[in-house]
Amino acid sequence: MKTAPFTIKSGGGASWAIRLVVAAALAGLALWIPTSASNGLIDSCITALTLMACAMALNLLLGYTGQISIGHSAFFGIGAYTTGVLVAKYGWSPFQTFAVAFVIAFVVGALVSLPALRIKGVYLALVTLALGLVFPQIIKWPKLEWLTGGARGLDKTGFRFTKDNPTYEIFGWNPWGTLRGENVKPFHYWIAMVIVIIVYLACRGVVKSRAGRSLVAIRDNETAAAVMGVNLAGTKALVFGLSAALCSLPGCLSAIRTGNVTPDSTNLTVAGSITFLIVMVVGGAGSLWGPIVGSVLYVFVTEITGDWSNTDSIPGILRPLFGWSNTPPGTGIFAVLLIVLMFVAPFGIVGMYRRLQARVVTVVPKPAGTGTIAAPAAAPVEA
Amino acid sequence: MELFLQRLFDGLSQGSVYSLIALGLVIIYRGTGHLNFAQGEMALFCTYVVYQCGEWGLPIGISLIIGMGVGFALGAVTEVTLIRPVAKKSQFAVFIVTLGLFQFLNWLDGAIWKDQPLPNSGVGSNQTSFPSLFPNKPTDFVNVFGAAIKLQSIGVFLLVLVLFGLLYLLFNYTKLGLAMNAVASNAESAKLVGIRTNMVLMVSWGLAAAIGALGGVVFAGINSNVNLGLMFTVFIYASAAATLGGFDSPGGAVLGGLIIGVIENMAAGYAEEWVGQELKVGVALVVILVVLLVKPSGLFGTAKVERV
Amino acid sequence: MTLLRTSGLRAGYGPVTVLHDLELEVNEGEIVVILGANGAGKTTTMRAISGTIPRQGTVELKGADITKLSPDNIVRQGVAQVPQGRGTFPELSVEDNLRAGAITRRDGTSKINADMERWYQQFPRLAERRGQRAGSLSGGEQQMLAIARALMSRPSLLLCDEPSLGLAPLITQELFAVIERLNKEEGLSVLLVEQNANLAMHMASRVYLLETGRIVAQGSAAELSADDSIRKAYLGF
Repeated sequence: MKTAPFTIKSGGGASWAIRLVVAAALAGLALWIPTSASNGLIDSCITALTLMACAMALNLLLGYTGQISIGHSAFFGIGAYTTGVLVAKYGWSPFQTFAVAFVIAFVVGALVSLPALRIKGVYLALVTLALGLVFPQIIKWPKLEWLTGGARGLDKTGFRFTKDNPTYEIFGWNPWGTLRGENVKPFHYWIAMVIVIIVYLACRGVVKSRAGRSLVAIRDNETAAAVMGVNLAGTKALVFGLSAALCSLPGCLSAIRTGNVTPDSTNLTVAGSITFLIVMVVGGAGSLWGPIVGSVLYVFVTEITGDWSNTDSIPGILRPLFGWSNTPPGTGIFAVLLIVLMFVAPFGIVGMYRRLQARVVTVVPKPAGTGTIAAPAAAPVEA
Repeated sequence: MELFLQRLFDGLSQGSVYSLIALGLVIIYRGTGHLNFAQGEMALFCTYVVYQCGEWGLPIGISLIIGMGVGFALGAVTEVTLIRPVAKKSQFAVFIVTLGLFQFLNWLDGAIWKDQPLPNSGVGSNQTSFPSLFPNKPTDFVNVFGAAIKLQSIGVFLLVLVLFGLLYLLFNYTKLGLAMNAVASNAESAKLVGIRTNMVLMVSWGLAAAIGALGGVVFAGINSNVNLGLMFTVFIYASAAATLGGFDSPGGAVLGGLIIGVIENMAAGYAEEWVGQELKVGVALVVILVVLLVKPSGLFGTAKVERV
Repeated sequence: MTLLRTSGLRAGYGPVTVLHDLELEVNEGEIVVILGANGAGKTTTMRAISGTIPRQGTVELKGADITKLSPDNIVRQGVAQVPQGRGTFPELSVEDNLRAGAITRRDGTSKINADMERWYQQFPRLAERRGQRAGSLSGGEQQMLAIARALMSRPSLLLCDEPSLGLAPLITQELFAVIERLNKEEGLSVLLVEQNANLAMHMASRVYLLETGRIVAQGSAAELSADDSIRKAYLGF
């Protein structure tokens, strides 16, 4: 086997240096955007961050336990409507609604996991699909209209700042511009960023822990996992609940950000579920960075091709390829990309990157026994 | 009484559409063990093709034949180019490919034909409504015990029965049918007996897509238009039908579709306050859940023992 | 007259080569037995001849090169295989299984039906169960069905992969008696691979010994029994 030209020791100096550089670059970018970028760009970033959180939440379920869900839009919707109803109808402050939505979504998710114990694979996909389809319909149900506002939805579900709200400065640095009125994009941006970080840390925490390895065991061979002592029901309920709860957080944000909730907005319908799934798979299922890469790419492509249904907006060379279309080609491009990836790189872009990286750099793992995963405590020997 | 009969026949008519799509799902599942997530969208594409033929002035009979032919080709090509190479990798990969196909076809329909319901005379269509296979003017109904039963409902129901009859003959009295059954039962042995399994797989997908096309055209006729979202809910109902009937039983698919159509209509009608139009789709969810939890192989399916 | 000949036959699964330059022959009217332990490559040999796995080298049937043919065409040339583990179509009826066996024939339904009746006479237990699902038959009955199904295509060469696997000795004896009878009365040529040496040797015209993908010995049953080392290693006495 050919050895790669470079070698890095896992946990060694070079590995840390690379991580530091990457982290610094990303942090710099993240901080720069809300202060200096255009409103349109900030908006796109918020969209990307929202999608990122959803895809990461789905990844926890699908990428790591192998349970297919095409119904995560329902959990997004639970988040959106919890915030919407509490703020619009009961005057709560938006921040207080996050925790409530989290709990509700967790419980619903755990409940959904119960039938999922006996239903597997594509059948589970069908059940979750049905769930995703039913959710908007429940919202529109006349008997619940007093609560949900029915098909019209609810208004005034976001923050409102008056001129008198102090703007917060940190050592002279004002990260969110002037807080006035309802449309405060930088503020929303930071909420989105915090949500993404929370979801990321939660996923990372689960994956890298002992529970995480149970997840992978369940994904690869359930029966063997059960025989080896993994508590199937409990673990599945926990993961489903967590995945649902994490997916509800970006839903809360969307209610705040747009200031209203309607049952037909994309992310609350099956179309949204499918988008989360596609973004996750294209980025790389089963990897922590996959959803990040996937969502950025998705928003990027969708933004650029946004008005390509108007032939004049398409750059000359690509005109014959897309000029005939009556609708923007974004979804079509991603659909083709998804199919092609299954042939070429089933583990998505991140998977492809890792394969290439393996050709360039060999990472030497730490010697056994020095890992950070806690070893079981040795029983004290009674003398 | 009249209301009951009316609802019954509406349900049978709607259920017939589910049966047709479910038949396609079952034929593919039997032959290859995969769920074709794109079944509804393949049917939709062919339905748009039929609409286009209508725009060009062709009578519905010819348009339908063309549409089903396009469906057959679409199914066959999909099997050979997209499914077969990926099936070797994993079930998940096949699922994702059919999901991608679902997205792509839906986008393609909008890209070619615009994303509004068609026909839309305001945008210059030649037709005023989507052509129906059966007479469907308001005056086309028969009186049965005082209930006005649309000719279209009867026609659609009979169509499904006839199609099922043809499929029955195919599977039980022809060499092709025997080959399809053999491949579905044991693909390795089928090769050893001299069956060209690749051809059989291709034909299975083609046949399933052609039947799906018929289902799409029938539904668009009932609906009087074709639009991008036409097949979303039909797909889940059809999946519920296939689940109820047993994913490897064509008879089960037909019966399942009819049953679900009737239940859905009855629930929406009689329990209007509680179910109504909004929660109709909940019927599908409930059916799928109950069947999968109580008897996963459905009414007529064969239970598979999973080997560890 | 040579019916089947392989030379330089190599086959395997992915990067693993199982068969190395196999040379063997079946003449018309012979029953040739390949003996070998687990993992020797018996099933691989069957698959290589039937064409269901990729192979290098040459396989000739009646002098014609069939190495490049697809499995369904090899059947049409007159080779039929009874796979390991019976390989019946479990959901199909006994009758449909037999019909499937005849699917490549073009000589008309009446001739096919006549053949079916013939095999029903040879295997009365199958006749009793003609409408039953093949999966509900006992192991021995399924094996009979698999053999009858293979014979429905009127092959000149019958390949049998471990027919005794999972069957009681009495049933195996019955099966081998049938194969012997078909060989003597109809001149059916048979290539049979087995682990169970005792029963198979009795009817063999010639025997090959297969060890990790190579032929290590060949000869008549008597010759091999006479060789002490072979007898001790393979025949257990």
